Amino acid sequence: MNDPASKQNPAWAWSDPATVPGMNRRSFLRATVAAASGLAAVAALAPLRELKNFTSVDEFLQKHYTELTPEEMARVLKRIEDEVEKQYGLRPHVRDYKPMNGVEFVYCLNLTRCIGCRKCVHACVAENNQSRSPEIQYIRVLKMPNGTFDVEKAEHNYAPESVPEPGFYYMPVQCHQCKNPPCVKVCPVKATWKDDDGIVVIDYNWCIGCRYCEAACPYWARRFNFTAPSIPKERLNPNMSYLGNRPRQQGVMEKCHFCIQRTRAGRYPACVEVCPAGARKFGNILDPDSEVSHILKDKRVFVLKEEVGTLPRFFYYFEI
Amino acid sequence: MRVLKSNFTFLSRCVRLAFVSDWRYYLWVGALGAVCLLGLNAYAKQFVHGLVVTGMSDQVSWGVYIANFTFLVGVAAAAVMLVIPVYIYKNEELEELVIFGELLAVAAILMCLAFVTVDLGRPDRFWHLMPGIGKFHFPGSMLSWDVIVLNGYLLLNVYICGYMLHSRYRGRHPSKWFYIPFVFIGIVWAVSIHTVTAFLYVGLGGRPFWNSAIVAPRFLASAFTAGPALIILALQVVRRVTSYRSPGEMGLERTATDLGSGRAAGLEDLDTLAVHLPALRNVSKEIRHECLVGARVFEVPPGAVVTREGDTQTNSFFILSGRVLMRRQEGENFRIVRILNAGGLFGEIAALTGAPRAATALTDGPVQLLRLPAESLRRLMRDHKMHSLIKSGMARRVVITDRALLTLRSIVQVSMIINVFLLFNELFKEFYTESLHGASAKYLFFGLHGYHALNPWIWTAITCNLTAMVLLILPVSRSLKFLDIACVLAVVGIWIEKGMGLVIPGFIPTPLGEMVEYTPSLNETLICFGIWAFGLLCYTVLLRVAVPILQGEISQANEPGSGLQDSDVQLRTLVESQSSHKGRVGSADH
Amino acid sequence: MNADTKTAAVLIASAVLFLALAAAFQRDLWGRPAALPAIPLVDPVFTNPAPTRVSAADLKRTGGDMTDFECNTCHELNKPGNLRFDDKGQVVLPKEHGELVMHHGRNDRNNNCFNCHNPLNREELLTKDGHKLRIWESTRLCASCHGPTYRDWELGVHGRMSGYWNRALGPFTRVDCASCHHPHAPIFAPRPPAPGPHPLRPAAVPPARQHASH
Repeated sequence: MNDPASKQNPAWAWSDPATVPGMNRRSFLRATVAAASGLAAVAALAPLRELKNFTSVDEFLQKHYTELTPEEMARVLKRIEDEVEKQYGLRPHVRDYKPMNGVEFVYCLNLTRCIGCRKCVHACVAENNQSRSPEIQYIRVLKMPNGTFDVEKAEHNYAPESVPEPGFYYMPVQCHQCKNPPCVKVCPVKATWKDDDGIVVIDYNWCIGCRYCEAACPYWARRFNFTAPSIPKERLNPNMSYLGNRPRQQGVMEKCHFCIQRTRAGRYPACVEVCPAGARKFGNILDPDSEVSHILKDKRVFVLKEEVGTLPRFFYYFEI
Repeated sequence: MRVLKSNFTFLSRCVRLAFVSDWRYYLWVGALGAVCLLGLNAYAKQFVHGLVVTGMSDQVSWGVYIANFTFLVGVAAAAVMLVIPVYIYKNEELEELVIFGELLAVAAILMCLAFVTVDLGRPDRFWHLMPGIGKFHFPGSMLSWDVIVLNGYLLLNVYICGYMLHSRYRGRHPSKWFYIPFVFIGIVWAVSIHTVTAFLYVGLGGRPFWNSAIVAPRFLASAFTAGPALIILALQVVRRVTSYRSPGEMGLERTATDLGSGRAAGLEDLDTLAVHLPALRNVSKEIRHECLVGARVFEVPPGAVVTREGDTQTNSFFILSGRVLMRRQEGENFRIVRILNAGGLFGEIAALTGAPRAATALTDGPVQLLRLPAESLRRLMRDHKMHSLIKSGMARRVVITDRALLTLRSIVQVSMIINVFLLFNELFKEFYTESLHGASAKYLFFGLHGYHALNPWIWTAITCNLTAMVLLILPVSRSLKFLDIACVLAVVGIWIEKGMGLVIPGFIPTPLGEMVEYTPSLNETLICFGIWAFGLLCYTVLLRVAVPILQGEISQANEPGSGLQDSDVQLRTLVESQSSHKGRVGSADH
Repeated sequence: MNADTKTAAVLIASAVLFLALAAAFQRDLWGRPAALPAIPLVDPVFTNPAPTRVSAADLKRTGGDMTDFECNTCHELNKPGNLRFDDKGQVVLPKEHGELVMHHGRNDRNNNCFNCHNPLNREELLTKDGHKLRIWESTRLCASCHGPTYRDWELGVHGRMSGYWNRALGPFTRVDCASCHHPHAPIFAPRPPAPGPHPLRPAAVPPARQHASH
């Protein structure tokens, strides 16, 4: 221990680099490495240069839908209209539709009538401003062989010359707006909830994109925006609602909402109106005269995966 | 103010430790840092473009991020596998090692939080999860439970480790009330973090592959296998890097002195020793006779190197008379770590653990030594008082005994057996009735409708697990080499089984029967590696700070500018007197 | 190489590595997301809610060309024609109406023109209990045989409803029988389906599966 430094402070000589010869070079090298790694870290973030329109301060701070006052909601709606106009060149009308009193929606689907033409799929896409690429479609039509409900036997990508094909029936599946929805149960931030008229809605500005709801849904009804959605300007539907068909953002969930912008204004959803075979029925179950009340009363309806206990509002039936 | 300043000194010394070490540390940390940055860059791309850069889809909406998360929650929970033997069963071998498990838990939880964050579609909306300012869906959503238990577990372990290290730094004995209750809470909490994570899957009625009661017990069994297995491997690494390499590399040490043959020791030597070590008087005659087997007494001249740092002999030495200095090489400097007088014991760590000599023992003046072979020392330690005396002396160092590793081995052994048993339960349930609910299991093990991408993975995992189990049952795994192989196999097997073998098949087929497979993309893989590197980096830095504090090298006593205490005065005068000894001890120091 | 040199070497190598990484990150050499496949926009015929065919009632409502339904330009009133039948009992269409396709009922059992048309006035339809209807009032005629279907149709259960489910807020439209079903060949005609879904991960999706034995 002949070095001079350790004479002054023997027991901790090693911890004080400045007093030890050779340590100066080491410190310099360490500092160089630290600087180089800092530079590399900053460079690693270079892709963030391409981040555009990710979120505005207002959107970031926006409260949950159920906590917005009417004035705040009006500001939010205006902000959304501004954003859509900026992106698509068309000013939409975004409304916040509240559920009607004394209304509970039910959907019935006649499997004898469905011919599998998929017009409902595309009418929904057009009405609800879904992304065309990557493609998001809320409705999935399953081509099922006669005699079974086993969805493993379903064909999703059928493309024959004409439908229906003999020996098969067609079963479209979309969000069933369950009375006991597993997706609502699992959402950690309550971004999705069951509204009074039975529709399970999503606040797109609240969703954190964890996709737990997508894993929970027994009907594979929920869709995720893996990237920014792309809607052709000429096909934008400007009649929008906050909880419904306003354009969504990257990283949030979406799903069928029974065309809130139509149904809460008293109209039929787009899929019901476009079906050429009249296989789709929609209405207020609390109204004993609605067609869905008659169906549930008179037809042999059933639901999918009843054993899971979701209590769907979507009833299938066969006739003849 | 003084308290603030001393805490600041403590923290700054810790930070300094993290940046200053030897070349192996720089190499390891540098490599990890580079991988971290690769992951960070990949994540920046994902942040900009969205999760489309991964291999996930609406059909398979969770992938390797959640798979790794699930595995790592298990690793974090397994820290408790060290705590239970120590605090409930009073196992002393593992007592000092609990902190390594808890530090591993901290690193693992940080990795879990990172994996969950990178999986989110909108991580900028993280504040929506905070109770109070966001909308926290507790107690309905199991994910909200998970947020609570994971963060709570992190805070618990950070507190316990921080408190223990801080107390050790201050040279204070930790106060029971500040950590024992938390340790016991930690045991329950550790089980809960993994059960809650299992419930994330179990609670989904629409996914029959997951909706089974056995998922939570399987999680725990596999966690308590993989976690301690990782700890066994980590402890051996710690043992190796905290025992310094042979200083022969530095070319600065003199070779060990040949002590001659000495003479056989007798009972009267033990009586001499008992003058300075009163506890020896109460040792039974039988034990005294036993411990003298192979014992020899040596007269050693001044300046002799009795044991050399890095040597691998396993004798221990009691000092009958005289004084011995223990010193260690640190970087380019030497550090006197202990001064022992008559009655002192050195070399016992090597005797009990087989680790290389942790320090060089130099005689300061003529010394009479009683040398006990390792077996004799162990016999002496059959006396309870001697045992605790010797152990408490050792407690000033990080001692990872082979016995501790073997205790952990029995934990891994039992857990792996249970894990395999539960696997058989699962296989029976999925395949015996041939029901449609077994579709995902069929896909995983045998392929479904022509899709079998996961088959090689799961069969590899099962092979690894079964091989590990057999190795662990056989006595051959008492040897560290086979134990290490078994641990690596167990970790790999369980990583596959819990990750790819649990998360992915739950999505295939989809609830509508569609078959879409999943392959992680390059970006996804880079992010995973980046987070693993980050976790290893955290663990490395935590150990780099913790071990010197535990060993007493960094303590309040040797803060720069602190008042000298008696032993330090001794050291200083000693060193100064040494430097005037040319050609003897002094010249050997270079 | 002693430890000192090793340390220096490792530190220098680390610095170089980090600088190289920084450069590589700046140049963005890997990990760009693959371009999404171009998916053609769907043909507007698949989002068109118009019913399958245009019935006489539709035509009348929209003020279209009704000349096809002015039968009495050729036929005389009160002059029942003679229907000729082939050896299978199926009606043989007169050559003037040869373009008609008759497939009413299973096994074409209801192809007899005068089961629906009034033989004395071709511009009228005649129910079995004697009600005379104009062509564009054909729904009641269909109802006279297809009772349960008509019952369902009246309730809104059969056929397509459009407009307002909430009758208080606006009008609704119930599509007439003939707007979907051609009265002479009422069975709902097969048609080409709209394109199927385009998956996000095409490589992970199988080619069309075969319905082998399950």
